[in-house]
Amino acid sequence: MTPSRLDLQALALGYEGRAFMRGIDLRVDASEIVAILGPSGSGKSTLLSAIAGVVPPLDGRILIDGRDVTRAPIHERDVGLIFQEPLLFPHLDVASNIAYGLRRHGQTRKAALLRATELLEWLGLGGYERRRVDELSGGQAQRVALARALAPRPAVLCLDEPFSALDADLRQRLAVEVSAMLRESGVAAIHVTHDPTEARTVADRVIELSALGEAL
Amino acid sequence: MRRRTSPVITANIAVLASALLLAGCASSGTDGSDAVEPAASEPQTVQLLAHDSFVVSDDLITALKEDTGITLEIISGSDAGTMVAGAVLAAGNPTGDVMFGVDNTLLSRALEADVFEPYESPELTSVVPALRTDTAEGRVTPIDFGDVCINIHDASFTDIDAPSTLDDLIDPTYRDMLVVEDPGTSSPGLAFLLATIARYGDGWTDYWAALRDNGVKVAASWTDAYFGEFSGGGEGTRPIVVSYATSPPAEIVYAEEPKPEAPSSSVMADGCYRQVEYAGVLAGARNPEGARVVIDWLLSEGVQSDVPMSMFVFPAREGIALPAVFTDFVPTIDSPLQLPPDDVAAGIAGWLAEWGAVMGR
Amino acid sequence: MTPTLPGWLRWSWLPPGAFLLVFLVYPLAVLAVTVTSDSGGGVISTLASPTLWQVTGLAAGQAAASTVVALLVGLPLANVVSRYRFRGRAFAQALVTVPFVLPTVVVALALRSLLGDGVPQGLVLVVMAHAYVNLAVVARIVGAQWAQHSGDYESVARTLGASRWRAFVDVTLPSLRPAIAASAAVVFVFSFTSLGIVLLLGDPTTRTLESQILRQTSVLLDFPGAAATALVQLVIVSTVLLLGAAASRRSATRRSRPPALRPLPSSVSGRAAVRITAVIGALIVLAPVAALVASSLRSSRGWALSWWTSLGSVDAGTTRLSPPSEAITTSLTYAALTALIAAGVGGLAAIASLTSGRSRIIAVLALIPLGVSAATLGLGTLLAFGRPPMDLRATGLLIPLAHALVAVPLVIAVVAPSLRSTDTRMSAVAATLGARPTRAFWTTYGPVLRIVMVAAAALAGAVSLGEFGAATFLGRAAAPTVPVQIVRLLGRPGEQSLGVAAVLAVVLVVMTLLLVMLVDRWATPLRRTTAQENPA
Repeated sequence: MTPSRLDLQALALGYEGRAFMRGIDLRVDASEIVAILGPSGSGKSTLLSAIAGVVPPLDGRILIDGRDVTRAPIHERDVGLIFQEPLLFPHLDVASNIAYGLRRHGQTRKAALLRATELLEWLGLGGYERRRVDELSGGQAQRVALARALAPRPAVLCLDEPFSALDADLRQRLAVEVSAMLRESGVAAIHVTHDPTEARTVADRVIELSALGEAL
Repeated sequence: MRRRTSPVITANIAVLASALLLAGCASSGTDGSDAVEPAASEPQTVQLLAHDSFVVSDDLITALKEDTGITLEIISGSDAGTMVAGAVLAAGNPTGDVMFGVDNTLLSRALEADVFEPYESPELTSVVPALRTDTAEGRVTPIDFGDVCINIHDASFTDIDAPSTLDDLIDPTYRDMLVVEDPGTSSPGLAFLLATIARYGDGWTDYWAALRDNGVKVAASWTDAYFGEFSGGGEGTRPIVVSYATSPPAEIVYAEEPKPEAPSSSVMADGCYRQVEYAGVLAGARNPEGARVVIDWLLSEGVQSDVPMSMFVFPAREGIALPAVFTDFVPTIDSPLQLPPDDVAAGIAGWLAEWGAVMGR
Repeated sequence: MTPTLPGWLRWSWLPPGAFLLVFLVYPLAVLAVTVTSDSGGGVISTLASPTLWQVTGLAAGQAAASTVVALLVGLPLANVVSRYRFRGRAFAQALVTVPFVLPTVVVALALRSLLGDGVPQGLVLVVMAHAYVNLAVVARIVGAQWAQHSGDYESVARTLGASRWRAFVDVTLPSLRPAIAASAAVVFVFSFTSLGIVLLLGDPTTRTLESQILRQTSVLLDFPGAAATALVQLVIVSTVLLLGAAASRRSATRRSRPPALRPLPSSVSGRAAVRITAVIGALIVLAPVAALVASSLRSSRGWALSWWTSLGSVDAGTTRLSPPSEAITTSLTYAALTALIAAGVGGLAAIASLTSGRSRIIAVLALIPLGVSAATLGLGTLLAFGRPPMDLRATGLLIPLAHALVAVPLVIAVVAPSLRSTDTRMSAVAATLGARPTRAFWTTYGPVLRIVMVAAAALAGAVSLGEFGAATFLGRAAAPTVPVQIVRLLGRPGEQSLGVAAVLAVVLVVMTLLLVMLVDRWATPLRRTTAQENPA
């Protein structure tokens, strides 16, 4: 049996050394989108931070494609991260933002920019390559952020309330759009939200955070 | 429309207004004295410009007020050079009534700019004969004198003899032992340079080249040389420094209680440069009458007796009893070196440049 | 500019403009007229002399090196002190400011006694001293921006494959660039115009134009030469400051998140890195201070309190009129007056910079005092306000006014960014609720102003506490400030002189620490206020 793309085993999470949740077990397969539901402040973001490597877990193991990355540095994990805000690098233009991860993965500047152009076409943002990022609308910026995260083809993508800063109409539209793109890309996605409707729109599986492990 | 003024603006206007108001008061207070000659008994103020080393005891200022009605306002802060620079720029419309502390290295520049108006103090007759005529045609009055001399940290010269002449300092025996001050930034440093010029004439550059080859260290300031480099003053390692003839007694006066019986360093009597400090009535003074009274006061027995322990210099007046630390620990400097003020004024820029060239600075 | 700003705001540049005109332009004009009236030719010949340009080149190189070192040491400190929550952070932040206000002669002696002969006098020592003194400039200015920078950008970059260092270079540095440019400009200017450190720790290669000016004025009495040198210095410094201002203008536009201190990194190595940086920073700052404390407690007979107890004795001072302790009162009085004047003038200039167009220029013009030679301004002020028809010396205001000239640029640097980053929509909201423009202005900016003005005033006070140059030109014999008293004590022999000077230096450090900690206490509510105003 091939290993899951993402495999969390008996993970314990905490803040400043104190655990608030332990025994988290979760497997996500390629092209699968799992939504994790929970009220704000329940620790959803900490879970994503642990997967991405921003904060180390207090206990347990994180496997990506069967490889133990629990102690691996962020940039060697193959995990993408999307926040509520797009966090596009303000000093780079749209295409350079998307190309950034490709450059870090050894692509030439020319190849990376070419790929960025393709991704922008795919997002329906053709012609935006040289735009400054602060000229983009909220929805456009979040789409560029998604393209930037997917460009280096990560194994796992963590989405932390990616649409909550957008208005309801756009949120719904983008949710449908994004879930289609994620499936197409083959990434294993964890989508964290407090909105049950959004969770059902996007995900193949919806799990309450409290069902993942034991809250302390 | 109801307008509210910013408290910041209000405060700001208040500050500016009060500054200007106070300025008006201050100037009108001194302006009047030009028109009406003040009687000695009338309350009046005299502004004394002095360099930052000027110190006088409080009771003498009180006595001046009681005897003459003069309130002395001492204005000081900068070094002598900057003070004289300010006086030269303000010549004719001075920033005070009387100036103390112009010395024989700076005197010519002040005289050239007509900073002073003539005054011959009746107290001049009690000044030591050597200084009595040293008045630049009656424009300034000598008040005190002191010597810039080589100081020697005695503890370092138990095995070898301490140097006793300027010539000794270029002897390899004393290699890497001497620290001097940069004449371009330090008053004793300049005095020492002038001493070597007075001694060696045109050969002074050779002497400095020899000093350089013998490992002389050049510090930027007296503080740096004395406390930083001199082994007798602080943490330093060099046992020979350019300082004042009165530094050893000052070491005792400013030591911790109980005071030591003898200082740890002594003075080399050869190669000392004599600095005389003068006072003068500033041309265009608001209160020239009061200024003359203050010059007499500076030469009075009271102030002259105070001068040694306040400023660590020798009084210009004859017959003033010196404190014991002076008589015990300052050698008699029989033939101090000196250059005529005019020569100094004419030569100084060139000498400093030449010195810089010799010393690689 | 939002349409709801009150009309009087257009005139808020007037008081600071008048202040600069009266206390900066007028004295310099008086001096210029006095000097050039009889010898204009001297100015030209000095400008043509190769020495002037040789010194300019050397000083620029020295200042550039000092700036680079100050940035290299200051950036890690800014990171640790302004971003992370740990015990003693407030103290550490205050501590960084101490070198900035210590008199240069004290810094020089402390560095010399610490480093001994290990680092000979010259360029290296001068650069180290400049970096030490200007740490606060980098740590404060860059720290303020770093605190507002969200660490999530780096996380994103790292998930995209950037190493920690790469993420710093690619993401953090660009977003800090305006603050780095601004602080670099200030450090460069301070190092380029440095006097005391250059004289005390330097050698011929470290001369500055300022040291040339002092020699030309006080030793050679070559006023045209000094004027020419001062002119060159003013032009160079103004250019650098304008470049810095242009670079930092692009900051303050984006406020991604309200500044909030974060916990220490959770990884062991991350924690260790923060702690080690904090400890090394504290050691760098504290070592000279510790040396001072030690010399204030030590005499030739061992450890003793005698220097401290002699603080109240008339004989221990240099005036013989008042005890050294009186210098503390003098300094505190001047600091309070300076705070008042500088906060008023600088605050209004910052407010003026909110409006469009010409009135914004005043905030740039107010930077000029940083580039005017202290000797030049001192002599100019003496001629302008030291004799009839306008003798300000007796008012005791001359020194606070001179200190305020130096402090106003820093006040503007503190106040203007806070005002510019305040959410202007608030005043629109207030206006729709019926507030007239002035009321709407105070509703919007009042809370911020109240807080930053106190911070800025205290900073101005700290500048006044440590200032030495103006106080020597304009001082009065009976009332020396603490730095002046220290320098005078160090100008006479005897271990008491050294001991009492060390005591006063320690007092100066403590006063500064208290003042700066006060600033930080007042600035803390600002973080909370903005957090409420701009929920993330």
